[in-house]
Amino acid sequence: MVKNAQVISMYLLIHSGLIFFLYPADIIESTEVGHWIPILTGFAIHAAVMFVYLKGLRLADGQSVLDLFSSAGRTWSALLLAPVFVYLTMVLVITARAYSEIVNLLFLENTPLWATMALLLGVSAYVASLGIESIMRSGLLLFGLSLPFAVFVLATSFQNVDWHYLLPSIDRASASFSFLFGVPFLRSLFAFGGGFLFLGFIQPSLDYSHRRLLMSSLILLPLFLISVYVPLLTFGQNTSATFLFPFLMATDTVDVDYLIFERTTLFFMLSMFVFVLVFMAIVTWQTVRIATHFVNLPFKPAVMIWTCATFIACTKIEDWQQVERLLGWNTYFRLYAMFVIPAATLAIGIRYARKGDNTNEARAQ
Amino acid sequence: MKRARNKAIAAVLVCLLIMLLLGGCWDNKDINHRSLPIVMGIAKRESQYLVVLQIPEPGLGATKIRLVEETGTTISEIVDRISKNMESQIDLLHLKVVLFEKGYAEEGVNDSVETFMRAHSLSPKTMTAICDEPINLFFRNIDSFNKNNGTILINFFEKNAGWNPHISADRVWELFRSIHSYTRDTVIPIVRSGTGTVIESNGSGVIRGGKLVERLTSDQTLLINMFNGISAKGKIEVMDHATVEILSSSIRRRGSIEDGHPVVKGRISLKVSLIETRGQPSQQQIKKEVEALLSDRFDAMLKKLKAHQADVLGAGQLFRTQYSRDQLERWRTDYFPSLNVDIKFDTVIQNTGKLKADA
Repeated sequence: MVKNAQVISMYLLIHSGLIFFLYPADIIESTEVGHWIPILTGFAIHAAVMFVYLKGLRLADGQSVLDLFSSAGRTWSALLLAPVFVYLTMVLVITARAYSEIVNLLFLENTPLWATMALLLGVSAYVASLGIESIMRSGLLLFGLSLPFAVFVLATSFQNVDWHYLLPSIDRASASFSFLFGVPFLRSLFAFGGGFLFLGFIQPSLDYSHRRLLMSSLILLPLFLISVYVPLLTFGQNTSATFLFPFLMATDTVDVDYLIFERTTLFFMLSMFVFVLVFMAIVTWQTVRIATHFVNLPFKPAVMIWTCATFIACTKIEDWQQVERLLGWNTYFRLYAMFVIPAATLAIGIRYARKGDNTNEARAQ
Repeated sequence: MKRARNKAIAAVLVCLLIMLLLGGCWDNKDINHRSLPIVMGIAKRESQYLVVLQIPEPGLGATKIRLVEETGTTISEIVDRISKNMESQIDLLHLKVVLFEKGYAEEGVNDSVETFMRAHSLSPKTMTAICDEPINLFFRNIDSFNKNNGTILINFFEKNAGWNPHISADRVWELFRSIHSYTRDTVIPIVRSGTGTVIESNGSGVIRGGKLVERLTSDQTLLINMFNGISAKGKIEVMDHATVEILSSSIRRRGSIEDGHPVVKGRISLKVSLIETRGQPSQQQIKKEVEALLSDRFDAMLKKLKAHQADVLGAGQLFRTQYSRDQLERWRTDYFPSLNVDIKFDTVIQNTGKLKADA
């Protein structure tokens, strides 16, 4: 079935859920001047690896990555996918833990952490256990529901900007790409490093136009720029570098007289939070898909077991520093998932296509 | 059949379970068990903070105002202690105005500003002001004046209520920004309890690095607001031969470096309406008088600011391409004192009221 709207909205939703929280602080930390350079660099990397990944998938005639890799042999596919499994599991733990902390910091002060984590993991596990079609459908629905609020908050967030902060646009440090191997920049890849992997998992059941998806990734570019530049233009580099969540701080300064609500941030936060919920559902689903592909397990109980394990891992993380350390360790797996998996998909895809041609030719003869 | 019934029972059970969650958030306190202060006064006496909270208490017919005072070593500790002593919990979410006592502002308000930015439940949009008299006296005075109206201090600052273009408006986040910024200082209004009106505006205070270093008159504050692009609409200027009301103002400005010194060239366009005349001044004469009045005032103010190295005009913002970041770090001390500001005023007398110009 061709479900362009569902796949594209899922793609946008996953990334917007991730970029507005941790991403701006990392980029602001990565360089002092010319933040558009790391943003565009990150985006270019994202677009390039996505292009390679989609190309490989197209050559594979609509198979999922799991089936495609298996065509290269069971051991190979297990070796290739094991780091992805670890990566996705870590992402799940980090997201659940970090976002419950964020909720705690920003509005539910009195709620214990385990309760928000249980809610996050419980809901996402439930959605994941219903299968990919329900995940995608709920993604589209929630995307439609939250879009008006998100657009409104994004538009009003420009209220206090001082455009002078845009300058200077470049300096020696940012022009020489010295940020590239710095920890903050590598950490910022969290926002768009592995989110697109789901595209290779959904394929046999849901089809989509690869070209349109690539085009829609352009919508993300302004979101990346807004998430970093709104706090920068409101506060300036020095001040915004002191914030944990610069974008949310910037929306907190917005004062809209004619609204009966005082904090528009809350609406924005909640819609982003819902997006993260869907993201976690799809990550859980992918992780369990990989596991059940190699180990003979029924799907639903596997989701349950895996979510419980994640919950226990989450409760073991005690403070924000540990979350950051985990994000740091995650970098290696992230780089792997970002670069090796698309490259492998392309390589195996080319081999598969060639083999397909050969058998077709053989059949023709 | 049996399967369907099992499903129905399961659904009912799930609904019942959800009811447990519907109670809402953890340790939630209902609104009638919360106190929502709207004004907080902070003073520091011999390294002890004194905090005064103005809490409206809705009652039958009228809203009563309650004043609570407490001292302690940190602000959060004091709020906590007040909360403990009161029959309801203090919730600072709806705090609208923070008043710093003058002495405390001179010493530096960095700590409180940081607390405000760090804390979960405080809004960075809270307005700030300096109180020119002992803080407890101020609250008692405005309380005795206006028994039933707790919103008077907010209305004084609110753009859609009692705010005037010659009162500066500054919020906690702006103060926080000025503490961390290289090129930007800020002005916050100074108030005291009045004799005829409840509150009296007393010009504004220049804050540099979180410290009150200088005072500006209301007229000078107006110029700063104008320079920063806030329209001076509504301000009435009295001169020798005429009185005019400013209808609108806009500014264009540009920074450049001449002979190694920073120079700001600006042009403020004013549209005014004639309110009163004395004698028979020509339109030209009135324009000249407006321009001379504002220019002189601006020069006097700039001199004051340079003496304290406090760039409340945000002029350093205009030099972001000309100077490197290292140089901008020294903007206040090395460059701002030698800044030349060349402001031209363009005045248009948009109308002469309901009488003809030469009436």
